[in-house]
Amino acid sequence: MWVRPGSFPGAAVAGRTRRPPTISMSYDHEHSDETFCEVNKSSTSAIADTESAQAKVTKPETRSRKWLERVKSFAPLLALLVLSLLIGLRNSRFFDFFNFVRIANSAAIPLVLALGATFVILLGSVDLSVEGILALGAVVVAILVRNDMNQNSFGWTAPIFAIIAGAAIGFLNGFVHVRVRIPSFMVTLGSWFVGIGLATLILGGRNARVLDPEIRSLALTRFFNFPLAVWVALGVLVFAWLIERFTIFGRHVLAIGGGEDLAVLSGIHVNRVKVLVFTLAGAFYGIGGVLAAAQLGQGNATIGDGRLFSTITAVVVGGTSLSGGAGGVLNTLVGVLIIAVLGNGMVLLGISPDIQQAVQGIIIIIAVASSIDRNRMKFVK
Amino acid sequence: MAEKAFLSLTDVSKAFAGVQALDRVSIEIRPGEVVGLVGENGAGKSTLIRILAGVYRPDNGALLLDGRPLTLSSPREANLNGIGIVFQEQSLLPNLTVAENIYLGQEKEFSRLGVVSWPALHAAARRQLEKVQLNIDPAARTARLSFAERQMVELAKALALEERTERHLVILLDEPTSVLEQREIDILFERVRALRTRASFVFVSHRLDEVLHISDRVYVMKDGKVVAEMLASETTVPQLHRLMVGRELHAEYYREARQRIPGETKVIRAERLTVDGSYRNVDFTLRQGEILGIAGVIGSGREALTRTLFGFLPHTSGSLTVSGRPVRLSSPDQAAALGIGYIPRERRVEGLVLSLPIVPNITLASLATVMKTGAIQTKQEREVAENWVKKLHIRTPSIDALCLNLSGGNQQKVVLSKWMNAQSKILIFDHPTRGLDVGAKEEVYDLMRTLSEQGIAIVLTADTLEETIGLSHSIIVMRDGQVTARFDAPPGNKPKQIDLIGHMV
Amino acid sequence: MATWFENMPAPSTTLKKPNYGEQIRAFAPVLVLVGLVLVIGTLRPGFFNLESLIVTVADTAILFILGAGSTFVVMLGSIDLSIQAICSFASVIVALMLPTYGYGFLVAALVMGLLAGVVSGIFHVWLKIPSFIVTLATSGLLVSAALLMSHERAISIEESGRAYLTWVNGRLLGLPNVIWIAGLVAALGIWCQKYTPFGRYSIAIGAGEPATWASGVKVNRYKVLAFATSGALAALAGILMAGRQGSGSPNLADQLLLPAIASVIVGGTAITGGAGGIGRTAVGALIITIVRVGMTFIGVNIFAQQIVFGLVLILAVALTIDRSKIVIVK
Repeated sequence: MWVRPGSFPGAAVAGRTRRPPTISMSYDHEHSDETFCEVNKSSTSAIADTESAQAKVTKPETRSRKWLERVKSFAPLLALLVLSLLIGLRNSRFFDFFNFVRIANSAAIPLVLALGATFVILLGSVDLSVEGILALGAVVVAILVRNDMNQNSFGWTAPIFAIIAGAAIGFLNGFVHVRVRIPSFMVTLGSWFVGIGLATLILGGRNARVLDPEIRSLALTRFFNFPLAVWVALGVLVFAWLIERFTIFGRHVLAIGGGEDLAVLSGIHVNRVKVLVFTLAGAFYGIGGVLAAAQLGQGNATIGDGRLFSTITAVVVGGTSLSGGAGGVLNTLVGVLIIAVLGNGMVLLGISPDIQQAVQGIIIIIAVASSIDRNRMKFVK
Repeated sequence: MAEKAFLSLTDVSKAFAGVQALDRVSIEIRPGEVVGLVGENGAGKSTLIRILAGVYRPDNGALLLDGRPLTLSSPREANLNGIGIVFQEQSLLPNLTVAENIYLGQEKEFSRLGVVSWPALHAAARRQLEKVQLNIDPAARTARLSFAERQMVELAKALALEERTERHLVILLDEPTSVLEQREIDILFERVRALRTRASFVFVSHRLDEVLHISDRVYVMKDGKVVAEMLASETTVPQLHRLMVGRELHAEYYREARQRIPGETKVIRAERLTVDGSYRNVDFTLRQGEILGIAGVIGSGREALTRTLFGFLPHTSGSLTVSGRPVRLSSPDQAAALGIGYIPRERRVEGLVLSLPIVPNITLASLATVMKTGAIQTKQEREVAENWVKKLHIRTPSIDALCLNLSGGNQQKVVLSKWMNAQSKILIFDHPTRGLDVGAKEEVYDLMRTLSEQGIAIVLTADTLEETIGLSHSIIVMRDGQVTARFDAPPGNKPKQIDLIGHMV
Repeated sequence: MATWFENMPAPSTTLKKPNYGEQIRAFAPVLVLVGLVLVIGTLRPGFFNLESLIVTVADTAILFILGAGSTFVVMLGSIDLSIQAICSFASVIVALMLPTYGYGFLVAALVMGLLAGVVSGIFHVWLKIPSFIVTLATSGLLVSAALLMSHERAISIEESGRAYLTWVNGRLLGLPNVIWIAGLVAALGIWCQKYTPFGRYSIAIGAGEPATWASGVKVNRYKVLAFATSGALAALAGILMAGRQGSGSPNLADQLLLPAIASVIVGGTAITGGAGGIGRTAVGALIITIVRVGMTFIGVNIFAQQIVFGLVLILAVALTIDRSKIVIVK
């Protein structure tokens, strides 16, 4: 380990051994010829905070900072545990096994959605099309399996179409974003409408009730006490985690979020990665749509209403930074669980559902306020 | 070593925003040699090696490798041709691990079907780290490393090129020793020597003795041109120094004749001023019409002190008195309200709103002066802008031109007119001549003298020691967060740089 | 510290002449609007009926007012996702307070909107939480408040109460009052934008916050002010909606958030901030409404309308966005 002769307490600069004075012409090399390297700092979309607009300069971490960073990275998990404990103390039914099953079940769809959004947010972008793609996926599956609207009976191939539909919209999101160079906020805002619109169009004003028992089994059949949907969500979780940890693609997502300029210059195919991220997210939302249709027993265009807020909340509360490059799949898992536990807790404690949104709002403020390193971020948008 | 050059630049020129950074420069690099590159700030060294590294493309001229012309459109392409660069600034991704940074963009070699084999990657990274004797875990997150460790990782990253190509390497070192400790510098030099058979080096640095120590040949640059090329063994530091500066007396250049005795009134008094972690117990006074220079290297605390005086970094203890009132400047608006103005180092970020025209930029700090009954008087505002453009000779086709399109020198003048319109009594000049050509610099010096004559007090944190000495009435020297010396710098009897340097390092 | 790499071409060495592409882009929204009107009018001349045009503009008025407030926020480079919640809550306040407090409802609703905006703004600047998040959170709080107060139902305003709201539905010189009110908001908004420090600084902050901050401008104050304006105007929109519908409900304006933001963007105010204005939002709101109305007129399948809307949105942004100012698109 390097021995660092301290200058004086708290020095944030790596200490230096005394060297014999060197004769140098200009002593301030910190900014030699940097003038020509002044990059016009861009202001990025209203969503990404300006950490990504300025060079990500991170000071090396002194001892106290390291400790703080460690604590901060576990904060969401701690919050989850504390929250669970508090709720359990007030109502011990929280710790019932079947309550855990309930929590897991309520977290299944949000988890799948949030995992898709996580990759987008890791890039430093945002995806508003969650609800639209989810609706589309739900409707596609609903009309393809045995239903009360038409004669189709595709069985298990129907979800595949739903996922493809979701991936297709996601692909368009990514493609338009990188090719036409429109901020992701705007593209996904548009495709949100397109998704809902397509769902509406397909249904033509009717509702499609799912009559296929196999699809409904996703929500109704249990495997080791947990509905199949939960297992599907777990599968998606493992898949997402493997991607993040072990694939070049996953690492490149982090690289782009951490410093896009550098990623570009290192030869990473940034555009390809971005398109793939949005496509993947779309596929995940499609899966969410299938699960939602199974759960609700029908497909309609409003099936996704309100899910955008909880998806983004879950990702952010879990500790993934909106400016990209920090956080990940496991963070999102914790975030989703926090939201699910919160919802479950409010029911157990008899808190009115009206207040749920307010509580979510407060939680998200606390979570973001405590996880943002305010010293690094000077200009928040 | 009279071998043929294998990498050369021929008649290369490059300009940025009207400033000629490189003017028909030709250099060559031969196999196995270490080439030193020295010059003042703005001489063109950094631009030159960035062209070699594929970061910039030359406007004219050619880059030749083994006699064939080469166009590099990215650093990655440069890498593929065996050229690697080690920067002094951040070019590692802090959120990734050391191993990932070393092999950024090349993960394919350690993966199958898109899946990374961490053991293979880490093993390879460890090999590279051994080359620079850096004993850290390749799986460590880069954000956790110190500046010095990161520098060594960057060197390891460049040295990793060894394994990617059979050809001779060229490693460009941009001020690599500025953040290194002596021990690390020794390792660096020893590695450089050991790699001679496989690589040539270009070593850019301000530390002339180090350059002479390690290089075979040295190029001296000045104002974008190569003014000398010699063997390191045949030259001395003073000679290099002379070649770099090229002019004997600075008195004319810094308009020393215009330096007047400052007034009596103290406009700023700092007593035991401290910001925990940056500097402590700084005392100084600033009088009306005085130019106070602050000298120091990186880490001396002078940058932080400059920021404190405009409210970016409030002091944690000690006292600061401005115009007789004790204050604690906790934000720029507070400082501005006290009549302080700030000409920033990052002109394009903190000095101007580039995408807006000249007019709103000039009145940005003094909007109230062009308002009546709560409304902005646009006609009056435009007249004000016209006046300043005329007064300061700002070269622009119209006052509606976007600041984005002005040259550096003219941008700086807009910044100055902003504060002059705000009638600031105290101005903080933070690296005011960065990126400006000689003509623009002289205009800034003239303006500073004019302001000083009008009784405006100036705190100057300059690019070069020479500038500090030439312009200031008095100088405080900082090192490691404390004031180590004070000098008077009256015209005709200015201290020598050598006097100050001893207190700076 | 700047990064060592330069990923944008250095600015030209000579001073640029005005780019004609830029100038056209500045007028694009108006051209689009005119184009739309012509296309629809040609396909269905009935569209040019004066009365139907007036009704169309009247429908736009509320959307415009909603969008006008958030224009200042978008100029800053931020976003306000709570406007629909403020709007709905205001309608609930109107419906609940009218019977008992008479004109007091106006004060109460507007103050609520103002306060909501101030709270969002303060959390944004003080806690440094991105506006996206903070306004989502405050919208959650407001929705809950509205749900609680209204017991989750729509509240109709009885006859006695309606008397206080006739001004909303009346006409002056042949034009519905809402148009006059919207016009007033537009005039005031444009005036503020051009001639007040608030307007000037909003653009400056969006175009270059570090420079504005380093010029001694009280940036935080103006940010909070922008959110307050957004909230107050959203509340005004809520009052007008309650007047028109004759009732207030906690999700009255839920469908309006996106069209309102879309109005701002389609009008040409950059989502990244630093350019644009109220006038543009008016054009944008008209475009949005006309696309909606026009689609029905032309006979576009009602179920396809959302799709068309989404595509139009993306197209509008693609045309109006000024890419020269953005280096990295996120």
